[in-house]
Amino acid sequence: MSKLNIKNLIKSFPSMDRPAVNNVNLDIESGELVAFLGPSGCGKTTILKMITGLFQPDSGDIILDEQSLLKIPTEKRGVVMVFQNYLLFPYMNVNENVGFALKMKGVDKNIIDQKVKEMLELVKLPDIGLRKPKQLSGGQQQRVALARALISNPRILLLDEPLSNLDAHLRDEMRDLIVTIQQKLKVTTIFVTHDQEEAVLLADKIALIFDGELQNFTSPKNYYEKPKNIKAAKFFGGVNFINAKKHNDKLSTNIGTVHYKGENYTDLNEDNIITIRPENIKLSKNNDFNDNSFKGLIKSVIFSGTHTRYKIIVKDLELECSLQSVGLQDIKTDDTIYVHLPSDKIWAMNE
Amino acid sequence: MGGERLKIILSLTPPLLIIFTLFFGGIFYGFLQSLGYQPAIGKYEINFSAYYNVMFSERYAKLFWTGLGLNLWVSFASTFLAAVFALFGALAIRKTFFAKTICNFIYSLNLPMPHLVVAVGIIFVFSQSGLLARLASQIGLIGSPGDFPVLVKDKYGLGIILAYIWKEAAFFFIILMSVLQSLGENFEELAQSLGANRWQRFRYVILPLVMPNLFSASIIVFAFSFGAYEVPALLGVIYPQMLPVMAFEFFLNPDLNARSEGMALSIIIAIIVMILVVFYFWLTQAKIRKD
Repeated sequence: MSKLNIKNLIKSFPSMDRPAVNNVNLDIESGELVAFLGPSGCGKTTILKMITGLFQPDSGDIILDEQSLLKIPTEKRGVVMVFQNYLLFPYMNVNENVGFALKMKGVDKNIIDQKVKEMLELVKLPDIGLRKPKQLSGGQQQRVALARALISNPRILLLDEPLSNLDAHLRDEMRDLIVTIQQKLKVTTIFVTHDQEEAVLLADKIALIFDGELQNFTSPKNYYEKPKNIKAAKFFGGVNFINAKKHNDKLSTNIGTVHYKGENYTDLNEDNIITIRPENIKLSKNNDFNDNSFKGLIKSVIFSGTHTRYKIIVKDLELECSLQSVGLQDIKTDDTIYVHLPSDKIWAMNE
Repeated sequence: MGGERLKIILSLTPPLLIIFTLFFGGIFYGFLQSLGYQPAIGKYEINFSAYYNVMFSERYAKLFWTGLGLNLWVSFASTFLAAVFALFGALAIRKTFFAKTICNFIYSLNLPMPHLVVAVGIIFVFSQSGLLARLASQIGLIGSPGDFPVLVKDKYGLGIILAYIWKEAAFFFIILMSVLQSLGENFEELAQSLGANRWQRFRYVILPLVMPNLFSASIIVFAFSFGAYEVPALLGVIYPQMLPVMAFEFFLNPDLNARSEGMALSIIIAIIVMILVVFYFWLTQAKIRKD
């Protein structure tokens, strides 16, 4: 188990007009499973390659267990990366692929054979050792790549888009396997993804990166309930944003005064944006709510199976609400409705 | 359906006729001549005496076997060294944009250059009266140009090997650069993160990945250098003589009876190259079956 600290990391490429990675700071605890999440080209893989030593940062430091990695060559860092397209050596069979790292260390062949067997059992592929990579399915190749990475007990395991090349069924299987193995071995793991659902399902913490800059580094739950900024909120499916001014103990908005219970109230500036997830908004034909209730007009109703989505116009603002389809009141387009924004579900962010 | 098939057969007929007439026709007629069949000089008898003469007669046997040895040595050495130079050259410059552009340009220029011109270039540069000998003499490394080691027209075929390395390294280089570029650096980066040092990455990653292409190119280069005439004719010595030169001299012989020996020698060269090609295909097919 190893603790990783990334300090003021900056990396530029001549072909880019902005730094690929711009002043990133991260503290990853031992045994944590962390996701680097962001759109393509945001710098997540660049950070991964700097941790492995394949790229040198322009400035900043990468510290593993209190020791800077910058002067240690890639092959001696104990940081192993699983690439997006698996990269099994096509001329080696599965056993040889999995045992590669130990062979490079000069480990005795009998010990390698034993460890390879253990690793293949760990990834639930005990009987394919003599097959060549092209005889394996995508999911099997991914498992073999994982076994190959884990065999040398890496201090840090890096996974570059580990599920992106798999179909939906295999993604679920592989996701479960990664979590199980990670929890069993307690290896500090970082994986890169552009899929927020994947990040939420797998990670203990998510580092959200846009344009080379770290937006937020917190638990998946916080991204839904307490996003740090509007970009983070939007990336996690946030659609309701209301400009709000801090006024005494309340927030003043275009649709009226909003009571707010967020613990960050004292940190808020004068100008803020409040957000609420569509599933936390409540609707009623009668005004059944005590506070944060606003009169609106149903603009559209979209049934999507388990949930029904409503677009509601409140004054000049459009809000989106998602309710479970079961037991719904009969709400139709152009109905007048009361919209309730529960004060404990609202989150305010500095503008 | 039948009309479609007829159309394909008719459209393929002209090129096939040319190939059969020129290639197989030529080989068949050459083979007949090697068996002693030469109606022009009244020889209609068919036998293997030309083959026997070339390989086992007191007059030619020594010439043939030493020539075959020299042929194998020159072809293996030049193919191997050209491949090694090209491989290390390609690995050294593949990541440097500027050097890669320059080297690609130089190697591309070298490709269309005739072997004859390269052979003359070797004489100008490496012979005892050549550029290097004069330069070494001028700067005092050797007493006179005559002290320069015999690299051209020597009995070990060094000049011939140099010419083939000069010429074929370009061919290898272009093939290797395209393979290395298509492979990218991911495999090496992966191996590095798995703990492989520079030598191990070369030995266990790069070499196995480029080997199939390197091997295919080697077969082509070996077959060419084994059967080519002009470079050994210019840079070789009278004894030992490479087989293509020996074959050509049989053809130049005013005695038309010697033509059968020349043809037999040419067929032997062709058979050796064909055995090699068949062996190569057998190896690759065996590997495919194994995979």
